[in-house]
Amino acid sequence: MMRASSNGDANISHPLPLRPWAGTCALVSSLRAVLIILVRISKILRERPVSKPLSFFTARTADPFRFSYRVAPNFFRVISALLLLGAAPLALAQNIGNIQAAPGGIAVSGPKNNRRSSFGTVNGLGIGAPTAGATVISTTGGVLYTSPINLQIGGAGLGNPAVVGVFVSNNFTQSALLQVFSCRSGCTSAANYAPISLVSGLANDTPVIPSPGVTTNQTVTVFVGIFVSNQNGAAAVPSGTTDSAQITYQTFDGATGQLKDTDKLNFNNPNETIQTAVQLTLGTATGGLTISPATDYAADFGFVNGLGIGAAAGLTPVSVAGGTVYSTPYLLQPEFSDFSSSSATIKVALTSNFAHPAILQLDDSASSGGPFTQITTTPFTITSSANSFGSITRFLGLFVSNTNGAGTFTGPDTATLNFTMTVP
Amino acid sequence: MKKLLTVMAVLVLASMAFAGTQATNTNTVSPSLQVSANVQKAVQLTLSTGSVAAAHCAVAPGAGTDYSMNFGTVDGLGINAGNCNKFSPTTPGVTNAVYWSDYSLTPVFSSQSVTTNTITAQVTTTFGGVANGTSNLIIVRDSANSATLPASAASFSNMGSASADTIATNAANGTAITRYIGIAVTPANGASVLTGNQSATVTFTLTVQ
Repeated sequence: MMRASSNGDANISHPLPLRPWAGTCALVSSLRAVLIILVRISKILRERPVSKPLSFFTARTADPFRFSYRVAPNFFRVISALLLLGAAPLALAQNIGNIQAAPGGIAVSGPKNNRRSSFGTVNGLGIGAPTAGATVISTTGGVLYTSPINLQIGGAGLGNPAVVGVFVSNNFTQSALLQVFSCRSGCTSAANYAPISLVSGLANDTPVIPSPGVTTNQTVTVFVGIFVSNQNGAAAVPSGTTDSAQITYQTFDGATGQLKDTDKLNFNNPNETIQTAVQLTLGTATGGLTISPATDYAADFGFVNGLGIGAAAGLTPVSVAGGTVYSTPYLLQPEFSDFSSSSATIKVALTSNFAHPAILQLDDSASSGGPFTQITTTPFTITSSANSFGSITRFLGLFVSNTNGAGTFTGPDTATLNFTMTVP
Repeated sequence: MKKLLTVMAVLVLASMAFAGTQATNTNTVSPSLQVSANVQKAVQLTLSTGSVAAAHCAVAPGAGTDYSMNFGTVDGLGINAGNCNKFSPTTPGVTNAVYWSDYSLTPVFSSQSVTTNTITAQVTTTFGGVANGTSNLIIVRDSANSATLPASAASFSNMGSASADTIATNAANGTAITRYIGIAVTPANGASVLTGNQSATVTFTLTVQ
């Protein structure tokens, strides 16, 4: 068996059938390939018994096309030379020898031109832990699920630099929601990702290793990403819908522009699964009381009294019958994706009341000065037209009674509100 | 085994909630907000311009004090009209002229265990720096401690400077009450008499207990 190989040239794979002795062909430098083949042939010819015919390939003695080296020695030399002439250029061709998983990236498997990978289950808000090796980056209109991958570049030289581009050879069916992106550098920022071209060719591909290309064999780490739109409405699909795509890396001779190699990467192992996502966060409004993270949020009105004296920063005391309402603006920040409806309903309810409900009550209002509506255990609809990413300024009021005498209360107290957002 | 796979599939397909603020594969999310507060007792006593007498010296925001009231130009014979009301001396040169005004007091208090209260007044900065009643300018108040209009200069008595005078007891919470305050000008003469712009400070105290 003959093997043209090179130490350090790992993961040998080549689309051309350079297998004169059914051996494995490696991607090696042109000079090295020529030398190896010549040495091997010379050795075989030198060591063979003179009386024994030399058979090539699978020819048997019964085959009518059996050749004898003794009969036609020059013929085999010519054939060998021809093989060398044909093999050398093939070994020289620039190529992506291998698409590999990069350290810290998503898994890649499968043979050349059928590499397989996946970002798994995705959503337009980037909620939840992404699949192993993927990183979520927020961007305009959605999120990018990203990962590094390694491209092994072979066959490059000073006179034959390798230029690599990529195009989408099989796009997502749900192309309004999913899109494949590529990034060469600064890939922790969404700004450095570009949508991968849907058209192939040196002039159309999304550059991966742009002209003038690289002149040495090397492993290049690039990033791929899948953009997941956070849109709602007509483009929405049922939660759990699966989809796949294929991108093709093309290697060109940087000197001639000639296509030399392709390798395909499929996002189908498993298929990407699109899920609906909902998120409702509360935030501090300008000039309002601080809404701090807790389980889930907390707002401390501090010291209060029935007269509204000495209101803390962010609070506006409003005198009402029987006491004072300390009013503060706060933000409701609804986000949802992949819903057919573009609006949501937000309700608020009292889930845990103050220990002294005759003294303290929680109110809702659309404005700082009221009118205020007491929040009770019955869910109260704040809005039924909340838009995704449409921040809503609302006012939370704390009523403090000004009563005196028996039954009055001083000291700390707490209550809990529950906000529920539902996207129909 | 089939049952186990079914359970696993259900688990995978179930909606995923990440804290209370976000979830996937569902259409609802429910964050919570804990609201806390610390209730304190509160008391408040405000003064305002009266509305009972024929004329009122305005109660205005003070410079360095909470409020101010200006009686204008006064004299011991009651010749000047002053800024509001005046009782001329019964016997000029012997009895005092009293320049006076009504004013309102509004006590407010909350989260008090009782509603009993008192309001006192005391001259804390006297005219000429001497005890109230010892110079030719004296801070006076209505002796009756009521809203009834004073009938004469005799309706007034000197306000204490060494101790506070009670001017209201168990005033209704949040309800304005009317009282009267004035400056008595004696007909005294001599080197120690005060002339020109003079001022004194009266401190009102509301106590709920």
